Amino acid sequence: MKVSVSQQHLAHGLGIVSRAVAPRSTLPVLANVLIATDEGRLRLSATNLEMGISCWVPAEISEEGAITVPARTISDLVATLPNDKVVLTLDERSMTLNVRSGQSVTDIKGIDPQEFPPMPPVDLEDGVELNVADFKEMIQQVAFSASVDEARPVLQGVLLSLAGSELVMAATDGFRISIKKSVLSSSAGKSLNVIIPARALTELSRIVADGGQMITMHIPRDRGQVIFHTKDIELVSQIIDGNFPDYKVIVPRTFKTRTVTSAAGLLKACKQAEIIARESNNIVRLNILSNSDQIGTVEVSAQSEETGTNENKVDATVDGPGLAIAFNVRFLREVLEVIKSPNISLETNMNNTPGVIRPLGDDSYVHVIMPMHMG
Amino acid sequence: MAVRKILHIDLDAFFCSVEEQMNPALRGKAFAVGGRPDQRGVVASCSYPARKAGIRSAMPMSQALRLLPALIVVPARHHEYGKRSDAVMAILRNWTPILEQVSVDEAFLDLSDLPEDLETLAKKIQTEVQQKTGLPCSLGGAVNKLVAKIANDVGKSRSAGNGPPRAILIVPPGKEAEFLAPLPVKTIWGIGDKTANRLAELGIKTASQLAAADEEFLISQFGKFGRMMKQSAAGHDDSPVMVEHAVKSISQEITFERDLADRERLIQTLHDLSAQVAFRLRSNSLEGSTVRIKIRWPDFSTHTRQVTLAQATCQDGVIFSTACGLFDSIWAPGRPVRLIGVGVSGLQTPFRQLPLWDSMDEKERRLLTAVDEVREKFGKTAIQRGDQLKPGFSHPDGKRGQH
Repeated sequence: MKVSVSQQHLAHGLGIVSRAVAPRSTLPVLANVLIATDEGRLRLSATNLEMGISCWVPAEISEEGAITVPARTISDLVATLPNDKVVLTLDERSMTLNVRSGQSVTDIKGIDPQEFPPMPPVDLEDGVELNVADFKEMIQQVAFSASVDEARPVLQGVLLSLAGSELVMAATDGFRISIKKSVLSSSAGKSLNVIIPARALTELSRIVADGGQMITMHIPRDRGQVIFHTKDIELVSQIIDGNFPDYKVIVPRTFKTRTVTSAAGLLKACKQAEIIARESNNIVRLNILSNSDQIGTVEVSAQSEETGTNENKVDATVDGPGLAIAFNVRFLREVLEVIKSPNISLETNMNNTPGVIRPLGDDSYVHVIMPMHMG
Repeated sequence: MAVRKILHIDLDAFFCSVEEQMNPALRGKAFAVGGRPDQRGVVASCSYPARKAGIRSAMPMSQALRLLPALIVVPARHHEYGKRSDAVMAILRNWTPILEQVSVDEAFLDLSDLPEDLETLAKKIQTEVQQKTGLPCSLGGAVNKLVAKIANDVGKSRSAGNGPPRAILIVPPGKEAEFLAPLPVKTIWGIGDKTANRLAELGIKTASQLAAADEEFLISQFGKFGRMMKQSAAGHDDSPVMVEHAVKSISQEITFERDLADRERLIQTLHDLSAQVAFRLRSNSLEGSTVRIKIRWPDFSTHTRQVTLAQATCQDGVIFSTACGLFDSIWAPGRPVRLIGVGVSGLQTPFRQLPLWDSMDEKERRLLTAVDEVREKFGKTAIQRGDQLKPGFSHPDGKRGQH
């Protein structure tokens, strides 16, 4: 193998795939990046077996070939090289990659690419076309609600349901749930339900560049994998096996009190309350006060035995009786951070039943959050 | 500060009085409430006729029976005692909201705002408690808690006869030092056998001698506590009647009648103690984040170990498994144990994150709530876990303590 590639492209590509590297795996090759020539471009790949990322960068190829080298070594090295051409030459006999740039010459010992887990090519014809910006927003508004509890693998995933041209994403950790709907520009012509690890989707939204491009989702038959593909990036993830909770029955159908307030105002109050509340189980109390003419206030307060107290008032339109309800302030902050509309509505019944948060004037998103309750 | 009016009230042989009410045949007989001797039980409370025979609380039941083979042993019914204790405290709260309940049968009252003198108040309270609950009680009164408590003890010890003392002893303001003067130093709070012995070596045997001792000298011998002892001996005490007795920890411990080295039985005891601690947490609507175990070895040296949990709990299982881990970190197989205890601190009002749907944790919580309700109604042994009912397993019993 002998290729010439720009330092910038190489650094960018390594930055993208390095998130899938498994540095402490028992399989040494998983700590490596696969570097291979591929139809006129240079392909960089890394995998931790749960998720694999590939990135194609432009390169001048004089000799085809492939090698794997330790991700950390090559990334750290390339990061220090000047913004110039980098020439990669493989000595196949010794499995050593020679990295040359200007006066700098480095030999990196590699591992045989045959040991790298195979990443079979995808039949892109069969995929579902998704708009990158829409899809990234969906991930951003939903994936944070997934569980991080290893003991509940299904909840570590995001349910992705496709029916005709309607795409729905849902994620829940058992205490809150985010549901986002989106309409595809054209019908996919099929239905599917798949649970994708939230970690993989979050990674996907991080590595796929914004812009007018499309992303193709592909679920090959009998492989237990989902593959997302753009023209220069591919992310392969294991699908989570299991039954996702029936989220439709979780969303309350009725409410007694509807509180409309500024998303930014409430978010700011929550961020301040969290400084105190993080020392006392993250409890924030919302005292929803309703006056005549629906002009009301939400009192946001937190107290901690050690740290102190915090109180804030946010103006609101309150329709229905007042209510004092307590939430995990982190949950509240996280949902308010992903809502784009200027105002939100909070629908409540009692202090031990779920609250529903919706962006005002946007029916595509709903977030259900269980309160914290005494006793 | 204005002169305070403090009463100390103590129900006379409380457990026995309740048992006599429920079974009048016991009246005037020598009997003791407590565990059975073959289960290495101890005397929790004994009737006045039993006291005449030299039987005392906390004495092993087997020893009590040797002193008085005719002694009637009555098993304890703590649930009944709790109900009657609540009734008495309710009566006392009608007299003053400034009430500090010290134990199930003991309380301090601050009656400074009432116009009557302490003697009159004490008589009225004693009569009302007797009439409304049928329970006899003794009272001590003074300008502070220290002297009121000692007055009550002295009053009771002066009573003779076979029945409850129904004592009332009031120490008038300004007469505190005079009242305490002839009493042995051990009467003073915080002075135990060890300190009393050291004081005796220094020639100090009575409260008056202690009150007259040189403060610098006492401090050189006992540190800060030296000054406190002198103050107390002179009858000075400005500690307030604490209405909210802030509970800092909940613990249960058990002293084995014979040192125990069998792991299975020690673990079984930890299981038991954990369940009791968890039950008390739940009945007080509390959760704790730090689990502690205490082990006392036969040489009386004591070990404690504690660990803080990620999330506060009031569940038997969590406390038990944590306690087991701590136990194994300090116990070596075969090492005999004299006392073992389980405690939970870092108490907080449990704000639980409610789940969207029932999880195992939630099911466990509801199970425990249901079990607690059954126990509340039918007694603590009415419902037990299956693993508690292993055939042929005899449970180590002994002196139980609560803090």
